[in-house]
Amino acid sequence: MKAVVKIENVTKVIKKRTIIDSLSFEVMEGEVFGFLGPNGAGKTTTIRMIVGLIGISEGDIKILDNSVQTNFEKAIQHVGAIVENPEMYKFMSGYQNLLHYAKMSEGITKEKIMETVEFVGLTDRIHDKVKTYSLGMRQRLGLAQCLLHDPKVLILDEPTNGLDPAGIREIRDHVRKLARERGMAVIVSSHLLSEMEMMCDRVGIIQKGKLITIQSVHEQVEGGAKEYEIDVDHPTEAMLAVDRLIPNQQAEVKGNTLMLRAQKEDIPLLVKEWVHDGINIYRIQETTKTLEDRFLEVTTLQKEAE
Amino acid sequence: MFSLIRNEWVKIFKRSGTYVMIGILLFIVAVAGAFMKYQDVQGTVPANDQWQKGLQMEIDSYQKELENSGEMLPQEVKDSYEKMIAINEYRIENNLSPNGDYEALSFISDMSSLIDFAGLFMIIIAGGIVANEFNWGTIKLLLIRPINRSKILLSKYITVLLFGFSLLFVLFAFSGILGLILFGLADSEPYLLYQDGVVKEQSMFLHLLNVYVLSSIQNIMLATMAFMISSAFRSSSLAIGLSIFLMFAGGQMTQLIALKYDWAKYSLFANTDLFQYLEGTPMLPGMTLTFSIIMLVVYFLIFQIIAFTIFKKRDIAG
Repeated sequence: MKAVVKIENVTKVIKKRTIIDSLSFEVMEGEVFGFLGPNGAGKTTTIRMIVGLIGISEGDIKILDNSVQTNFEKAIQHVGAIVENPEMYKFMSGYQNLLHYAKMSEGITKEKIMETVEFVGLTDRIHDKVKTYSLGMRQRLGLAQCLLHDPKVLILDEPTNGLDPAGIREIRDHVRKLARERGMAVIVSSHLLSEMEMMCDRVGIIQKGKLITIQSVHEQVEGGAKEYEIDVDHPTEAMLAVDRLIPNQQAEVKGNTLMLRAQKEDIPLLVKEWVHDGINIYRIQETTKTLEDRFLEVTTLQKEAE
Repeated sequence: MFSLIRNEWVKIFKRSGTYVMIGILLFIVAVAGAFMKYQDVQGTVPANDQWQKGLQMEIDSYQKELENSGEMLPQEVKDSYEKMIAINEYRIENNLSPNGDYEALSFISDMSSLIDFAGLFMIIIAGGIVANEFNWGTIKLLLIRPINRSKILLSKYITVLLFGFSLLFVLFAFSGILGLILFGLADSEPYLLYQDGVVKEQSMFLHLLNVYVLSSIQNIMLATMAFMISSAFRSSSLAIGLSIFLMFAGGQMTQLIALKYDWAKYSLFANTDLFQYLEGTPMLPGMTLTFSIIMLVVYFLIFQIIAFTIFKKRDIAG
C-alpha cells in the first residue's frame, strides 16, 4: 500500500502559542484514517493545514508527493474536502453550486455532476435552492462537491456533526464504500469515539497539538485469549472451578460476575464443570476493549505522565 | 480565468439585490425623463429672438458684481462668473442660442450625473465580493480548489470592473433610448468648453464620452478601495460604509485641508476629479494632469498590493 498523504513534522505557531507540535503521520491508499481528540486538540487546525487554508509554520505536508506549500495546485487537485460545515451559496440551487465548483477543476462534465448527485442520493432536490435543504441534504451536497473531481484523498472534518442517526449511518456507508471501491484515502476527524470505531481502519489520537498514538481499530487481542464476563449465582464456588481448570488465572469477582481471561476452548469445559457443581449460569459474554476504553487509557496515562 | 469570472458573475446575478440596484438606476432615469418631458422648462433668458439681449443682461450683471465686490468674492465664485461671461459672449458672437431643442444627447448629458449612483452600486459589489465569501463560510470551499489565491482574487476584481462598466452601459443605453423616445434626435448643439479663459466648441458626443470616461476613473478608484478593505478586513459593511462616506465627504474634506495645507494635493480625492484640468482650475496650485495621473496610479498600486498580499497570506480559520 502506498502512502498518499504524508504529514512530516508539522508545527503551527499562532501568536507565539504552539497549536500543533511536530505532528507526523501517513495515510495509505484505500484506508479510512480517523483523527480523534478532545475539542480544541488541534484536529481542525491540522485539517486546514492539509488543504492549505492555513499556513504551516514548520515541516511539510505532501499529497501524492506534492507539497501543499510549494506546489499547492498540484497537491490539492487530488483532494476533496469538507471543512466543518459544508457551507454553500444558499441563493443558488444545489446544481448551480456544484456547477460553480466543477468549473474550478478541469474536465468535469455535466454527466459527471449528475452521476455524483445520483451517488449521494440528491437527484430529486438538486434543482431546488440550497436554503430549502435540511442539514442532512446539505451534508450530502457537501459530499457531492468533494467527489466531483474523483479525488484520491477525501478529507471530512466532523462529517456527522448535527446529523440524525440515519444521516450518520449514510455518511458512514459512503465513506467505507469510497475507501473500499475507489481506493480513496479518507481522513475523518471527530470527537465521537463510537463513530470512529465503526468507520475507521486506523485512529490517530491527538491531544494538545501532539499525536499521542496511532492504533488499529480492529486490533486482535494478543495470544487468542479473550476477556469474558460471566454471571452466576454462586461466584465463590464458581471461582474454585476456574482455579482447577485454568491455573494461574487472575480472575476477578464483582458481585455475581466473574471477569476472566481465557482461550475460547476453555469456556465449554468451564460450563460443564459448573453444571456438574450445580451452579446456575445466567450470562456469558465476550468483551472486547472498546476504542473508548483505549482512548481514555491513553489520555489518562498522558495526564499522569505530566 | 474566464470560467472563474463567469462564476463570480453568476453569483452576483443570482441575488435579488443586484436587480434592485439596476431597477433603482432605471427608475430614476425614467422619472427624470418624465419630469423633463411634462414640465415647462423655463430658461433664464427669453425663449424667442430676444435671447441675445437676455444674455447681454446676464453679462452686465455679472460684470457689475465683479466690479462692486470683486475683492471680497472667493476665487471660485469669481472664476465661475468669468466662465459665465466668456460663454455668454461666445454665444452672442457666434449666434448660438441657449434655447436649442432639448434632445436625446442633452438628456444623456443631464443623466450623466447618475454615474455617481452607478459608482455607489459598484462600491457595494466591490465591498461584498470577497467579504461575503467569508460571511457565508463559502471561502473554505472556494480556496481548496486547484487554483491559487491570486487568480481567485484577480477574477473577483475583474468582475467588479465588468459590473461597473455594465452599469454605465445600462445607464447610457437606457437614457439614450428614453431620450430618443421622449425628445427625439435633433441637430445636436455643440458643448461649450471653457479652458484657460478661452471658450472652445466640442461635439456633444465627445463631451459625453469625456464625462463617462473621467467619471469612471473616480468610480474605479473608490471601488478598488472598497475591494481592498473587503479582502483585507473581511468586512463588507466596513468596506461599503467607509468607501461611500469618502465618496461623498472625501472631496470636501480635502478642500478644507487644502485651504491650510499644501499636502492636501497628495490626497486621493484631490486627484480623482480630472475635470479640473479640462475645465476650471485645479484644486491647488502646482497640480497638473500628469501629477494627478501619477498619484492615481500610485494609489491604485497601493490598494492592489495590500489586497493581494493580505489575501494570499491569510489563515482561513473559524
